[in-house]
Amino acid sequence: MDKSMLAELDTLPEEDRARMASMIDQLQIRDSLRMYNSLVERCFTDCVDTFRRKTLDKQEESCVRRCAEKFLKHSMRVGMRFAELNQGAPTPD
Amino acid sequence: MAASNNAPSGIDKEQIFGMAEKEMEYRVDLFNKLTQTCFNKCIEKRYKESELNMGENSCIDRCVSKYWQVNTHFFVVVFSLDLKKFGSILQY
Repeated sequence: MDKSMLAELDTLPEEDRARMASMIDQLQIRDSLRMYNSLVERCFTDCVDTFRRKTLDKQEESCVRRCAEKFLKHSMRVGMRFAELNQGAPTPD
Repeated sequence: MAASNNAPSGIDKEQIFGMAEKEMEYRVDLFNKLTQTCFNKCIEKRYKESELNMGENSCIDRCVSKYWQVNTHFFVVVFSLDLKKFGSILQY
């Protein structure tokens, strides 16, 4: 959630603020779990193709690690740009 | 949300919370779709390394920007096309 949303919470009365905060919390938890699941699915699909053995080999392990790191870095960058666009700030070409 | 001296009636407040929740869910959904889509478009699946290179960074920035434009444009187009058809969506 972007910080600007949290700042507006201060203008609300106490009980409303608590309710909003709880809603945001639940949304964040649900979203994180969903992201985790979809990340696992993606990296498995992209990195694991053979099933001759039941354990991941070194190649598959590295691939999965790189996939996860890459996606998380990508997600952070998208978050940055998303926040900028949300605020209507001009973005570089 | 504007602060007011009169406490909103029970019904108004529920509607406002309902709308706020829907708005937040919409934003989260938009962000997730945007992230997935631009990853698919910009990042090669071979995962040679864990860092994002310069090309990928630019691609991500531009992809996000364009996706955002489509999203804004689409909103205007869809809701002006046939207000009768989409009018039901606008009734909270």
